[in-house]
Amino acid sequence: MTSEDDKKNDDMPDFSDVQSGASSTAPAAETYEIYTVKSGDSLSRIAKGAYGDANAWKRIFDANTDILKDPNKIFPGQRLKIPKKA
Amino acid sequence: MRRNAIPLLPLFLLLGAACQKEAPPPPPPPVTAPPTTAPAPASVVSVTLGNAIGADKKVAAEKDTFGAKDTIYATVETAGTGHAKLRALWSFVKGEKTAKVDESVIEFDSAAPATNEFHISKPSGWPKGDYKVEIFLGEAQTPAVTKTFKVS
Repeated sequence: MTSEDDKKNDDMPDFSDVQSGASSTAPAAETYEIYTVKSGDSLSRIAKGAYGDANAWKRIFDANTDILKDPNKIFPGQRLKIPKKA
Repeated sequence: MRRNAIPLLPLFLLLGAACQKEAPPPPPPPVTAPPTTAPAPASVVSVTLGNAIGADKKVAAEKDTFGAKDTIYATVETAGTGHAKLRALWSFVKGEKTAKVDESVIEFDSAAPATNEFHISKPSGWPKGDYKVEIFLGEAQTPAVTKTFKVS
């Protein structure tokens, strides 16, 4: 996933291809990544980066209905839950 | 008249004493519940870094220096009960500047100690330098634990 903080650190390395995961011994643990929306992002674009599939945008939308009401309206600075790949 | 008033005085005193209200009984001692031990909320016990974990999700050998192609694991041991939210913020550190590498969350309902793991990898290889991972509990803005490591 892309690091949104790189925008203010132009001389810093690129971490856009970092892959991550998480798990727990606790039953029914929920794991997700936090992604901060950048200018020009769309749910499809974020889904492409996270899952390699732009059509998986609905999975991201469904995980963020507490802050998103319209999948076409996301704003820079919003912190979205990106469910981990199954 | 005046001579009759004096013998009546003890009688009035006696009647006055008899009419006084009885003192109320002392209040019963407050009822105190037997001491109970409230369940401890979830807490971070330890964070260990390594480049491999076992089936129990525990790091086999703790490391603080990694290779460019390593997968880097942070095992977080938690204790306590109730809902727990662990957030791992991985950063690259260069002087005063930091660049976010990854931010991931595990949420779970804990009834017993749990072992949790976060991991990151970079197919193109980690840039050499200093890194840190901060583990936050709940909505805290201050990390419960911070671990630093190097890629060389």
